[in-house]
Amino acid sequence: MAVAVGIDLGTTNTVVGVVRDGVAAAIGDPDGYRLIPSVVSFHPSGQTLVGRPALDRRLVDAPSTIYSVKRLIGRPWGSPEVEAARGKLPFELREGQGAATQVVARGEPYSLPEISAFVLRQAKAVAEAGTGEPVERAVITVPANFNDLQRAATKIAGKLAGLEVLRILNEPTAAALAYGPQGKEQERIAVFDLGGGTFDVTVLDLAGNVFEVLATAGDTALGGDDIDVVVAERMADDLLKKHRFDARAQPMAFGRLRILAEAMKRALSSADQHTVSGDDIVPGDRGKTVPWSFRMTRPELEWASLGIVERTFKVCQQALDAASLRPADLDRVILVGGATRMPMVGRKVEQFFGRPPVVRINPDEVVALGAAIQAALLDRARQKTAGPMQHPRIDDRSVVAQMPTQAEAEAAEGLVLPVVSSAKMPAARKAPDPVVNVAETAALPGQLLPGAGAKPLVFDLPAEASSAPFELELPRQHEPSRPKLTVPGAPPPPVRPRLPTMQYPYQAPGAPPPAAAPPEPVATPVAPAAALHAPPPAARAPAPPPPRPAPLLIDVTPHSLGVETVGGFCDMLIDANTPVPCDRTRSFATAADNQTTVRVRIAQGESKRFAENTCLGEVELAGIQPAPRGATQISVTFEIDADGILNVRAKNVATGQETAARIQLVGAQDDPAAMAAMAARQAAHPLAPLG
Amino acid sequence: MPSKDALSVYLASLEKRTYYDILRIRPDADAAAIKRAFHEFSLLYHPDRYVDSPRDVASTASEIYKRGVEAYRCLSRQPLRERYDRAVGRGKVRLEPARPSTVPPPPVQRTLTEIAKTPRGKQHAVKADRLITAGKLEDARVQLVSALQCEPDNAELAERLQILYEVLALEPP
Repeated sequence: MAVAVGIDLGTTNTVVGVVRDGVAAAIGDPDGYRLIPSVVSFHPSGQTLVGRPALDRRLVDAPSTIYSVKRLIGRPWGSPEVEAARGKLPFELREGQGAATQVVARGEPYSLPEISAFVLRQAKAVAEAGTGEPVERAVITVPANFNDLQRAATKIAGKLAGLEVLRILNEPTAAALAYGPQGKEQERIAVFDLGGGTFDVTVLDLAGNVFEVLATAGDTALGGDDIDVVVAERMADDLLKKHRFDARAQPMAFGRLRILAEAMKRALSSADQHTVSGDDIVPGDRGKTVPWSFRMTRPELEWASLGIVERTFKVCQQALDAASLRPADLDRVILVGGATRMPMVGRKVEQFFGRPPVVRINPDEVVALGAAIQAALLDRARQKTAGPMQHPRIDDRSVVAQMPTQAEAEAAEGLVLPVVSSAKMPAARKAPDPVVNVAETAALPGQLLPGAGAKPLVFDLPAEASSAPFELELPRQHEPSRPKLTVPGAPPPPVRPRLPTMQYPYQAPGAPPPAAAPPEPVATPVAPAAALHAPPPAARAPAPPPPRPAPLLIDVTPHSLGVETVGGFCDMLIDANTPVPCDRTRSFATAADNQTTVRVRIAQGESKRFAENTCLGEVELAGIQPAPRGATQISVTFEIDADGILNVRAKNVATGQETAARIQLVGAQDDPAAMAAMAARQAAHPLAPLG
Repeated sequence: MPSKDALSVYLASLEKRTYYDILRIRPDADAAAIKRAFHEFSLLYHPDRYVDSPRDVASTASEIYKRGVEAYRCLSRQPLRERYDRAVGRGKVRLEPARPSTVPPPPVQRTLTEIAKTPRGKQHAVKADRLITAGKLEDARVQLVSALQCEPDNAELAERLQILYEVLALEPP
């Protein structure tokens, strides 16, 4: 039977998750890699490479290897974001019809949703291989701060990938769903989501099974990549000083520095200092290259990235202001996104909120797991197992890890392999960063478990989880004998208690480790497999807690929606942080005699001046009967749906008849002809087979 | 799950209900009670609760839900709630838009370039349009005055200048 998946379509990596038989898990490809790099390379052979195979092509075939599309998707040609990216990316951007932004690879132009569609197709293929079932429906996540254009473009990408998009879900909300309630009657949580390219903070109220988003704020151009750039700049300075070589003038060389900088950043999350070498960067005599290496300490990295990390707290303050809360009002702060692995981020978050943040689920996968849960919730109709909302039994198992996880540590290294010799990174290979190891698998608190004939949705979290700061549950991990996914109807796998919690190494120096955590796994990073395979002492399952009904997410729209009015002003219809779906109706009158078409420009943003907001496009009201000016009034209902996407409908105030209303988005190619052309191009580009 | 008919009847009845009635709270309910009520309302009518219902049932529920959101947003913000309470006192059940209802709905504008008739006037009007888009209202006013000097009989242009004066008067100095 077809399954519905959750896909975290990230700036740098994409993860696909699924809930089966009550357990949410991230799906690995046949080699065990669960992070799919969001990179698409058009190979000369005509094959389209996506993910890891495309990663290395960034170095050998840069003009045909497209990445970081998420930073540009839904941004029309001429927008500041596109202008900033032009010339900085090694592939060509150009203007398409209707101010659309396109990339050109091997002479063929592609719209940005098309590129994302390739990544989604790969995710779909990975999910199909991992579950052995066809995948037709998906929940796709986006940064909470994405505007209508960006959401609509992402939804188009999903359609082009052959997926029915059940929901466009906000990433922090998905993470909150994956963490689930803590057992308290009511609590307020903040999700601090610092990803590769975007930052979001969302404040939620959890009451029973209702997750109400109170406010969200974000910056779509703030992420771990920016820290890479800062580090790469330092490296470029060093090259200039030592070898009189200006890497900034050469995009390829600077691109290599960025890859080295990312390796440096990752290494310094566990090590106090690290050295990278890029022996092939500086050209020397007779085709040889000049050896060069660069050393950095963690304080140096922290000093360099301080400005970027500080920017996140301005955004946090914005979200708190919108919710009329103070940092101390929050009961829990959750860290999401790979960039939160930097110890400084955890420390600064603790300073700002006055409490240690929680990282219990792999910050790279938590969003996909939350999306998978939402997909299972929304897919009830198709799965004929839809049962009552209340479910009889609850279990508290960890996630089924289906794939060996060593692969993932290697995946992280795979990013840097082309330029960093492994001998230079002993720390990364022999004693891997405990964060990476621990975070391989998510101990998912909210689980969907099989029950008597129903597909129960279990949402429970034992109270122990909150007691220790920075803890990570060590989930049961990659047991080779375990079936990949249990067959429906089979008895649930034996319940094992959690292994001892492990400290997340974000702790301020000198602070005592949490009492519950045995020091060994923290202080001396042991071979992860041994630690993870250690049989739990006295394996006895705790008594199942009482059942919880299915969770309900009440999400909000991140930006105010307005129409242009007299004098270049913006007449606000729907305020930021209004729960969705919601709507608002406005009347518009004709301005000229015998006018048959009325156009209303629409924008999202918080400024009273229309021009200072992000113009989405215009609503066109057509087929109006000729009449003197002002005689005809059309009332237009602007609806923001549960995906955060705008819809309009209109009617004639006097006659009550429906009037044709169409939204023309800037830079979107969403008309049927364009969709058909894009779908045909997808069909003409087979993906390279997995594995 | 309620039937389509029951939901439709309930939706129609919302036209006569105050926000307090929609959320089923007392007029003196505090913030916590409003939130609780909204959560209960959401569990009943949020579209996600209708994913396994026929489309028309789901869309009716969605219409009901959106009215609940309107009520919740209004009642959970004190200034709006006070304004709403006064409106209820006058027999209204929905909050009117922020602007007083005597102001006609914002007409969809023709550009100044379209309004201007003479070539010289159009030259100034083009500039004025561009300046308005850029938010430079004072500069736009200067251009619009020049355009009007070229065609003093253009009533619509004069009206637009008048509007611009009003807007400028609202501007902070």
